[in-house]
Amino acid sequence: MKEITINPVTRIEGHARVKINLDDSGNVDNAHFEVVELRGFEKFMIGAAVEEAPRITPRICGICPTAHHIAAAKACDEIFGAAPPATGKKLRELLMVGQFIHSHSLHFFMLAAPDFLIGHDAPAAERSVLGLVKKAPDIAKKAIEVRKFGQRMTEAIGGKPIHPSTCIPGGVSYPLAESKRLELLEMSKKSLETAREGWNIARTILDQTDLSFGAVDTAFMGMSDNGRFSAYNGEVNVIGKDGNPVSAFSGADYLNLIEEYSEDWSYLKFSRLKGGDYYRVGPLARLNIVKEMGTPEADAALAEYRSTFGEFTQTTLAYNMARYIEFLSCCEKAVEYLSDPSICGGDVRTPVSGVSKSRGVGIVEAPRGTLIHDYSVDEEGFITDCNLIVATCQNNFGMDRGVEDVARKVVSGGSLSESAANRIEMVIRAYDPCISCATHAIGQMPVDIELVRRKPER
Amino acid sequence: MKIAIEELAGCSGCTIAVLDLHEMLLDVVEKAEIVYSPVIMDVKEPPEGIDIAFVTGAVRNEENRERLKMIRKRSKVLVALGTCACYGGVSGLSMLSSNAEIFNKVYRNGATVGEDGKIPSGVPPFTYRAFAVGDLAMMDYYITGCPPKENFLREIIPALIAGDSLDLSRKSVCSECDRKMGSVEGWKLKRRYEGVPDREHCLLGQGYLCLGPVTFGRCGASCPKNNVPCHGCNGPSLDILREPCRDLYNMMVRRISDLTDHKEKEIEEELYDVAHTMYPFTIGSLIMEDKENSKIRDLVKERSL
Repeated sequence: MKEITINPVTRIEGHARVKINLDDSGNVDNAHFEVVELRGFEKFMIGAAVEEAPRITPRICGICPTAHHIAAAKACDEIFGAAPPATGKKLRELLMVGQFIHSHSLHFFMLAAPDFLIGHDAPAAERSVLGLVKKAPDIAKKAIEVRKFGQRMTEAIGGKPIHPSTCIPGGVSYPLAESKRLELLEMSKKSLETAREGWNIARTILDQTDLSFGAVDTAFMGMSDNGRFSAYNGEVNVIGKDGNPVSAFSGADYLNLIEEYSEDWSYLKFSRLKGGDYYRVGPLARLNIVKEMGTPEADAALAEYRSTFGEFTQTTLAYNMARYIEFLSCCEKAVEYLSDPSICGGDVRTPVSGVSKSRGVGIVEAPRGTLIHDYSVDEEGFITDCNLIVATCQNNFGMDRGVEDVARKVVSGGSLSESAANRIEMVIRAYDPCISCATHAIGQMPVDIELVRRKPER
Repeated sequence: MKIAIEELAGCSGCTIAVLDLHEMLLDVVEKAEIVYSPVIMDVKEPPEGIDIAFVTGAVRNEENRERLKMIRKRSKVLVALGTCACYGGVSGLSMLSSNAEIFNKVYRNGATVGEDGKIPSGVPPFTYRAFAVGDLAMMDYYITGCPPKENFLREIIPALIAGDSLDLSRKSVCSECDRKMGSVEGWKLKRRYEGVPDREHCLLGQGYLCLGPVTFGRCGASCPKNNVPCHGCNGPSLDILREPCRDLYNMMVRRISDLTDHKEKEIEEELYDVAHTMYPFTIGSLIMEDKENSKIRDLVKERSL
C-alpha cells in the first residue's frame, strides 16, 4: 500500500493533512481528511465559573472568536435568566456582522481567491494573499481595507478585534460611543462600495471551474429568522438531500437531532443527523435554507446565484459564491445598523443576580456554520458538563468524501503533482474549515497530503 | 530578509493579529519576504535560512514538539508570539485532567457522542503536559498578548525587520487603566457576573477579581475600559516574572489585602475557581509552575485525582 500525504493542508485555519491510499495498480483505494490536533475545551471547561466561558471559549478560534464569545454569552443569558435589552441585543447582532465581514473577506480574498484569481496551478509561493498583492494590488488593498472595517467594528463593540470580551451574561458590558458610531459608519459605507465592486469578481469566479469537484449529496442545517438570513436570531432549520424541510429546533432540542462519532485517524469528530444522514453547514447551507437575505443588493445577488445553481444546490464549490453573498449582505447590514443613532443607547445589559436554570444552550451561525455551546451548571453556576458542536465537525464528512472524490480524479499512475494536490485542497478550502474550532476538543491544521502504496504481498 | 510564522497548539489568532497590521502589511512584504505561514500560504515546510521566525501556540502534542525543533533549527531569530507560546495559554487548562480523561470526555462522554466512541490513534500523540515554547527551545524574544495588540505590533514588527531596538512600556495593565481608586469599604469578593460595575472606580476596589495589577500591559487596558475585569490574557507582569517569590495568586491576594485591610487568609477563603479565574493563560508554563508559591502544582494535582 502506498500513501500520498499532503501535510499540512494550507490556507485554512489550523492543522490538517490529507492521506490518500493507493491500491497495487496505483489507483486511489481510499482517501481521508485528517485533523491532527485537539485542545480539550469540553473537558477543561468543567469546573469553571460559567461566566468565564464567554472569556475562555473565544480562544477556540482566532478567526471566529466572536461567534464563540456570543454563543457562550447566549448560553449564560439562559442560565442566569437575563435576556439582553434592546440595544444590548442589537450590539451583539452588529458584532456578529463584524465577525462575518472580517472572516468572509479573509477567506474570500486572502485564502480562497488566490486559487481563482492567480490560478490553482500557479507556483505555491505565488498562490497566496502575498501573490495577490503583486498580481492584483488594487484588490488586495481593498480586501485589506474591508477586513480592517470588520476588525475595527469588533474592537469598538467587543473591546478587542480578536477575542472580544464585552458580551456578558445579560447583554453587553458597555454602550457604543456616538463618536465611534460615526467613525464606523464612514468605514461601513466604503466597505459596502468595495463589496459591491467585488461582486463582479465573485459572480464569475466559478466560470472556469469544474463544478463536479468535491461532489457530495447531503442534508443541510442553518439558522434563519423567519426565512431571512440571520446569524443571531431564529430557529435552526434542517432540510433534506432534496431540499425539503425536515425539522427545525432551538436550544437543547439539538440533542434530538444531532449525533457525533469519531474515527481512528482524526482528532476531528463527525456530526450527522440521528438516523444516519450526513448534513453540511455554512454559507451553502444557509443560502439553501433562507428565502431572502433581507438586504437589497444581497437579495439581487442571491437571485443571480439561484439562476445559476437553482433554489437548492449541492455544488460544493458554490460555497465560495454563497460566502460572498453573505459578505455583501453583512456590509449592507453594517450601514443600516450604524445609520441608526439608537445603537448608542444605554440599555445594554440586564443586571444579573444568580443562577436561574441549570442548563443553557447558545446557538449562533458562525461564519463557517451552526455553532452550539451547551453548558450544564450546579446551583452556584459552576460548569458540570459542556458540549460544543462546531461548524467544521459538521462539514467533516463533506470534506472527507470531497477529498476522496477529487483524489480519484487527479491521482494518476500512483503520483500526485503539486497542482493536483492543490485541487484537493481547494475542495477543503471551499468549506473554509477552521481546525482550531474543530479541535476545540486540542490541536493543529495546515493540510498534509499523503499517498500510500500497498506493498505487494509475498 | 526572510520571515516565517509557525503554528503550534493555538487558535491562529496570532497570525490574524499579524494580518491585522492591515495596510502596514504591504510595507512589511516590501521589506521582507514571508517564506512560510501555513494559514496564509501553501509552502508546506519552513525552508532553511529564515531570518526571523515567529512561533505561535503552545506545545501539546508530539508534532508540535517536532515543528518547534525544526523552526528553531532553520531560523536565526526565533520569537515567541502570543501568550500561548510565552506561557502555554488556554492549552494549559487541559492539564487539569489526565490525557485519558480528556479523550474519554471528548469522544465517549459528551451529550452527542456514544459511549463506544473511537478514541483516535493514528494521530500525533499528546505530550504528557502542555509546554510554553520557551520551556523546550531557546527563544530570542517574547511578545505577549492573547493575541498581541495591533498598536504594539505596529511598533515592534518594523523594528524587528529593520534590526532596531525599541523602548516599550514595561508596566502592568493598571498603568493603562483610567479608573480612580475611590474608597473601599465593606469589601467583599463578587463573581464577575454580579451587578453592574461603576465605570469610574477601580474594579478590584469594587469587589471584582480584576487581574490588572499582576498582568503585563500593552493592551491599553481595553477590558477594564469596557467595564470588564482583566482576565490576565497578556500573562504576568514584569515584577512577577522577575521575582521567584512572586506569583499571580499571592500577589493578587497581597494587593487585595493592601487595598482592603482584610487579612490575606480571609481573602483566600473568598477566592473561587482559581484555575479559570486567575491562571487560565499560564498553567502550561514551567516558569510559572516552578515559583515557590505557585498554585499551579496544587491545581493540576487536585483536578487529576
